[in-house]
Amino acid sequence: MAVVRKKISQNADVRDQYIQSVQLLKKEASGRKTNEFGIPGAARSVSTYDLFVIWHVTAMMLETPPGNPAGRNSAHRGPVFAPWHRVMLMLFEQNLQRVLNDANFGLPYWDWAEDGDLPQQQQSAAAIWGADCMGGQGNPVTTGPFAFSQSDPSAFRVRISTNISGELRSVNRGLRRAFGVSADALPRTAHVTNALALSPYDSPDWDADTNSFRNRIEGWMNDDGVSATWLHNLVHVWVGGEMLLGSSPNDPVFFLNHCNIDRLWESWMTRNGRVYVPDMTADADLKGHRIDDPISSPLGRNATPREMLDVSAIYEYDALL
Amino acid sequence: METKKLETGAAPQKLGEYLSRTREKAPMHAGHGAGGAQSVRKDDYRGHEIEIVTTYKILVDGKKIRAPLGVDAAGKVHCHSLPNYQTASAVDMVRALIDGFPEEFEPKPARRKSRPASRRKSRSAAKKGSKHEH
Ligand SMILES: [Cu+2]
Repeated sequence: MAVVRKKISQNADVRDQYIQSVQLLKKEASGRKTNEFGIPGAARSVSTYDLFVIWHVTAMMLETPPGNPAGRNSAHRGPVFAPWHRVMLMLFEQNLQRVLNDANFGLPYWDWAEDGDLPQQQQSAAAIWGADCMGGQGNPVTTGPFAFSQSDPSAFRVRISTNISGELRSVNRGLRRAFGVSADALPRTAHVTNALALSPYDSPDWDADTNSFRNRIEGWMNDDGVSATWLHNLVHVWVGGEMLLGSSPNDPVFFLNHCNIDRLWESWMTRNGRVYVPDMTADADLKGHRIDDPISSPLGRNATPREMLDVSAIYEYDALL
Repeated sequence: METKKLETGAAPQKLGEYLSRTREKAPMHAGHGAGGAQSVRKDDYRGHEIEIVTTYKILVDGKKIRAPLGVDAAGKVHCHSLPNYQTASAVDMVRALIDGFPEEFEPKPARRKSRPASRRKSRSAAKKGSKHEH
């Protein structure tokens, strides 16, 4: 039976379960140590939650193909953006279900366009940032379930981050957020509507300069077809702090943002069918982005963009757009 | 995709194995190695082969920074240590790097030795200042 993914602001029980399960995964030892991932310094235990941080950084460093000037990698700046993140979220959701011992739990989503429709100065006071939800901003964050406390070793801590070269590093500090500093306002409903009206999923040159649905939701181009920080990217940049980095899954809000992006993709498919491009006739330069190429994940050949098109047996959304 | 395969693949042990294997065999960002970031753009025009090699050498406060900047066919600058940005100029990207990696631009703690008392004070003041500027 498919689980239902619900809006976090309207489902307090799901919200509480999300917080609880994130905290459990953050405390669960994965059985791996930092040195097994080439992270310099003393070998330290890596939590299951932090494996997802390492996965995201690793996927971003796998350039497709190596050295391409478009900066296309195995998860971003190309067609595989939506399916790669779908795989990541599905594996994350499985782990949340496991630690909750609740096979019916569905990852919640943050409908950020709702907050983006608010006047700019009210956006950082939206319900999602309440002490009973994700907590507020700061360096470190001091409110909510992920607040930092120097003296409390069980408080939420960032343990793996990236340096300026994009390489993994061990750290030990609180979560960071700085709302509206690197971008003024969240995306609005009108921007989402305009993105959904684009019928090609993606188009040549399959990069950050193409006017396609994938490129619009990933957030490299605005409604005028001009390079800008938009939708998914704008949410990252508006939240700031951890969300600016390749290690952005450090902020639990990362998954709520991506769940909403995945909901937009699902909404797009109700209009256009479960279709994807490029197919396997595309150039080898697009390896890793074509419909039957394996997605960079522990699922190997079992997870391809084609396999990700219809996951309705696994989960569905309470509401599509 | 079958639920069974998903469950198996989601085990932390599987993800851990996959990650250590992937990080071992993948040459992590080739070309960004010894402090340089290089982009090679190629094009064909009227039977001519164009190749543009761009290398960034970036200094902040006189110190070389190792950020993997690249430039795409449209001339936009990207940097995978700040993966959600794309800027019209490398200067804008370096500004964003200073905001995104505050620690990397703090003065070296080694200088503390010479003036321990006053050093501490000025450091925390500088920190507060940069927080406000954000
Ligand atoms: Cu991502």
